[in-house]
Amino acid sequence: MAGGLGRAFFGRLREQSPFWVRVLLASSSIALIIFVWWLATRGVAEERVISPAILESPGETLASFKSLWFDRALTRNLVWSLWRVLQGFGLAALVGVPIGIAAGTFRPLESFLAPITMFGRNVPISALVPLTLLWFGIEETQKVMFIFIASVAFVTVDATRSTLDVEERYVETAYTLGASRWQVVRKVIIPLALPDVFNSLRLLFGLAFGYIILAEMVNMDRGLGTLILISQRRGPKAHVYLILILIALVAFGIDRGLQALGRSLFAYKYAREA
Amino acid sequence: MSGEVGAAPRPAVVEFKKVTKRYGAKVAIQDVTFSVADVPGRGEFVGMLGPSGCGKSTVLRIIAGLAPQFPPSSGEVRVLGVPIEGPGADRGMVFQEYTAFDNRTVLDNVAFGLECRGVARGERHDAARAFIAKVGLNVKTDADKYPHELSGGMRQRVAIARTLILKPRIILMDEPFGALDPMTRYRMQDLLVDLWKEVQATVFFVTHSIEEAVYLGDRVFVMSPGPGRLVEEVAAPLPTAPALAMNKDHKFQEVVAYVRERVAKIDAEALAANG
Repeated sequence: MAGGLGRAFFGRLREQSPFWVRVLLASSSIALIIFVWWLATRGVAEERVISPAILESPGETLASFKSLWFDRALTRNLVWSLWRVLQGFGLAALVGVPIGIAAGTFRPLESFLAPITMFGRNVPISALVPLTLLWFGIEETQKVMFIFIASVAFVTVDATRSTLDVEERYVETAYTLGASRWQVVRKVIIPLALPDVFNSLRLLFGLAFGYIILAEMVNMDRGLGTLILISQRRGPKAHVYLILILIALVAFGIDRGLQALGRSLFAYKYAREA
Repeated sequence: MSGEVGAAPRPAVVEFKKVTKRYGAKVAIQDVTFSVADVPGRGEFVGMLGPSGCGKSTVLRIIAGLAPQFPPSSGEVRVLGVPIEGPGADRGMVFQEYTAFDNRTVLDNVAFGLECRGVARGERHDAARAFIAKVGLNVKTDADKYPHELSGGMRQRVAIARTLILKPRIILMDEPFGALDPMTRYRMQDLLVDLWKEVQATVFFVTHSIEEAVYLGDRVFVMSPGPGRLVEEVAAPLPTAPALAMNKDHKFQEVVAYVRERVAKIDAEALAANG
């Protein structure tokens, strides 16, 4: 029976596999991609399914890492990109989190800001490149402000959401314990919203890290975006792929790091019943 | 009529005069009138019973001064002779849902109200430790725990300690033991009886359990839905034994049977009217 076979292979609905099975499954998907890649790019250059001008073989790509590291100053460019994101996103957090929490606490402010945040979240990110060039020139300010403008509306709205998610019963409890309005905001709403605010900042940071590549493709002054474009124009093409893989790995690493930071900052949330 | 009894009359702890709450066309409670006297030396314990939608919680939240039930659409509500203006620490409230603040230890949860009053750290922590012990938690091992590390019964103990530490004149409890297993529930009832004798507050206790209302209350308010009205006040015997033992008491069982009959009748009427 097909159902029986499916169950034997996929397990109970929504059942999680043991750790080693998960690792095995994840590795086999990577292996499959590399295998197909290898298959499409093996043999002499002229006889390959995909021309080396578009995609080199896995071996060739890996071998070009040396020149990416030394000749193209990979780490320095990576740090530059991160630094830009950090400034722009840091500014967005500094502005967006307090305003967002205020809007979640005082709903009239939320209504007042709604048109602005709605615009900010729906404007195409790529359209912000010419706009920021117009406003801030082509130097560092443009790149930082691009990240700021691209993320501040999201940060604000998420902070509002987190604030509204603090359940009313906590506010009511505080009132019946004699807290004043200001005390409720300071001692209850803000501390209870913070773990969620942090979590959304973590997710949005990942997005902002993706955006910076876009801003770095104009003016081409340092950064991973610049590096991708240089590799695409002057080669080696393999660098494009290496940088893309690197970006994903770094983004994943940062996300895990922030997750660990959140767990230690808000340890009380993750404590288990004794 | 007050004032007939020689000495200056003490104002009622809580007085409702024809209190009605409407939301648009929907009437939550209608013309609810009652008065709970200020008995010298001890507060009354009022158990509130009735099917869902009868307005028990509405009455409780109006006393607490919590929106949107407060303010009522019409009628008069007074606490110790004074109209209510909003929530305050003189009317403590314990909810069914767990409301311990996640980011605070048990100690700082219990000390929350004192902290809001500006009581110095050392002083409020000393008071909090005393109340943690009073509600049967272990000061040494539990005081520094966070709410996520506690069982449901322990969390409600924290909520009770946090309210009692402020010495409220009135304690409002909205099905505080509704989510607890039966044995924990009996233990919490016994705890409440002990504490109540000590703090001398007037308690309003909303519950679905007839036994619980009769056991804890010295008065039981029976309410009826559609719209919520107070239909009967029943005097109940004071608890003389632990909750589990009281279940075998003859007089206790008689009152429970009587109240159950009344509630069943109200339920049947409501069903016939709306059904």
